[in-house]
Amino acid sequence: MRLLYNFLKDMKLSSKSFYFYVELAMALIMVFVLLFVVPENFDRQQTFYVHMNLEGVVADKVEEVLEGSDDNYILLDSREAVEAALEKERSSAGVSISMEGQKVIYDFILQGYEDEKFKNIIETVVKSEFAVKTPDYNRVTEIKVLDENAEKLNDRLNMLPIILTLNATFMGLFIIASYIFLDKDEGTIKALAVTPGYIWEYLLGKVGVIMVTGLASGFIVLIPLAGAKAHYIHFIPLLIMTNLFGSALGLFIASFFDTMAKAMGWLYGTIITLGFASISYYMPAFSPLVIRLLPSYPMLFAYREILLDKPDLSLVYMNVGLFGVLSVILFLFANGRYKKTLTV
Amino acid sequence: MIKVEGLYHSYTKDEKYAVKNANFEVEKGEVFGFLGPSGAGKSTTQGILTGLLQLQTGKVNVAGYDIRKLDRRMFNKIGMSFEQSNVYGKLTALENLEFYRKLFDVPTNDPKELLKIVGLEHVANKRAIEFSKGMKHRLTFVRSMLNNPELWFLDEPTTGLDPAIASQIKDIVKAKNDEGTTVFLTTHNMYVADELCNRVAFIIDGDIKLIDSPRNLKLQYGEKLVEVEYRVSDTLKKEKLSLIDEKDRLHLNEIINTGQVELMHTKEATLEEIFIKVTGRGLE
Ligand SMILES: Nc1ncnc2c1ncn2[C@@H]1O[C@H](COP(=O)(O)OP(=O)(O)OP(=O)(O)O)[C@@H](O)[C@H]1O
Ligand SMILES: [Mg+2]
Repeated sequence: MRLLYNFLKDMKLSSKSFYFYVELAMALIMVFVLLFVVPENFDRQQTFYVHMNLEGVVADKVEEVLEGSDDNYILLDSREAVEAALEKERSSAGVSISMEGQKVIYDFILQGYEDEKFKNIIETVVKSEFAVKTPDYNRVTEIKVLDENAEKLNDRLNMLPIILTLNATFMGLFIIASYIFLDKDEGTIKALAVTPGYIWEYLLGKVGVIMVTGLASGFIVLIPLAGAKAHYIHFIPLLIMTNLFGSALGLFIASFFDTMAKAMGWLYGTIITLGFASISYYMPAFSPLVIRLLPSYPMLFAYREILLDKPDLSLVYMNVGLFGVLSVILFLFANGRYKKTLTV
Repeated sequence: MIKVEGLYHSYTKDEKYAVKNANFEVEKGEVFGFLGPSGAGKSTTQGILTGLLQLQTGKVNVAGYDIRKLDRRMFNKIGMSFEQSNVYGKLTALENLEFYRKLFDVPTNDPKELLKIVGLEHVANKRAIEFSKGMKHRLTFVRSMLNNPELWFLDEPTTGLDPAIASQIKDIVKAKNDEGTTVFLTTHNMYVADELCNRVAFIIDGDIKLIDSPRNLKLQYGEKLVEVEYRVSDTLKKEKLSLIDEKDRLHLNEIINTGQVELMHTKEATLEEIFIKVTGRGLE
């Protein structure tokens, strides 16, 4: 019962405070940015300037390939013209195709900033596209689809897990700490400490407020952006547990300090560190162990599952369980520390 | 009601003690005063008694509970008014009290009635952040009465308040004490102590120098003086005479016999003077 009264009082207090609205405002801004500023898919089309010095069958074939491709090809009259076009448009690339006897020569003209990887890709793509359709060519390149089930989210949806993780889950880390320091500052914690109430009731009351804002900001983002595509039934337990984890972590960190100013560095550093996981989320090729060990790493992928047509529920519920357990441990630890330090 | 044995406390957990070797008992129904200058260790002692500070060394029993294994039910029996007001600024006076009362497992007083007692009923629905210092203090004070405490801790209950409010608060304390509430009070105001306390402890640098009733202290340390104003022919004379000193007493007799006395009153030593005498230090 006291827990409920603490929660209600904290709801009342926080609804009159600035912090309460930061997270919600952030969520609204995100929705706005994603809906109106970020396209559903980023434009990855690159202009490809082509100069051909070919004859007969080969020329026909090459032209056929160009027409069938979804990239942006522009045919130019000379190699010099390709170079000039490239200089004007620094994001483009070019190729000059000519024949020397029976040999087809692809002369790629690049900007100079492209890395090896890019060069390899171009080479492979061109080889497979052109070569396949060129008579007498021995097909040596084979393209394999590694994961038949790999579902791709559009670019906008693909950003959602990051927003959910950083705003709905970890923003609470800051806010709960600031609430605690606010109470410390006002001295009201001391007044609570001389009632029959327990510290954990006080702390859980705050956790409840963070949960409410977390859920609210989570839905604010998810509903307009993912609509019916999201699996809300699984989203709710995931958000609750990860949000709990965020609060418990915030309480834990704050328990080592007596003012917000002193705790700020650690809180901020924690958020930034957790944010690093989004690099690996975007570039799976870069996922060193240190990043995979961050709690935000599995969280991002769990949120991603929520948005897929066929979510991997075991991944989602592994996260629910993991963060449930971690939250309890962190909370108990923080509670133990606060019992000794909160009123000093 | 309170029993303290061999209590030590160091904030830095070293030999720098804010309280050292304190031993005292507070009887049920008495008003016990903790007196000493700023930094003497009064709030520290009170903090330990109310579980706000962790007990480091010593034995402390409060209202029948051992402080070492803090049982939160103890707080149903005690009330604590803080030196620095600590109420929720964003809540109204009434909301502050309504929330606080729900934290107790015992019957509580009606917040509106309590606000009336300290003259805050007209601002019951005003947010505490808009209160003056004295109003906030009264709210903090009256909050500690919500659960009808058997044992009431008051940290500097009148310090920094205007005299009218201070005397109002003193009256409330007296009335509660008459109803049987035990009071543990800390102050560096000797008049408050003198007026309210059955017994006082003098504390300085964390050390309790003595514990006795104000009356005994005055009898023991105070020199009774008589101030007389009398006329010799046409000039008005003023003298301070000791009632203990033989020569002064004869002189006083002589003045009275001549029948020229215009004004005469006894002057007792104040607790302040006694404090200086005992500890060698003032109270401010
Ligand atoms: N939180 C704290 N951390 C470290 N030292 C402290 C702390 N609180 C008090 N002290 C020190 O302990 C000693 C006793 O302080 P305490 O607050 O008990 O004095 P006091 O008698 O209540 O004084 P006042 O009349 O000013 O309220 C002082 O030397 C003070 O500086
Ligand atoms: Mg004090």
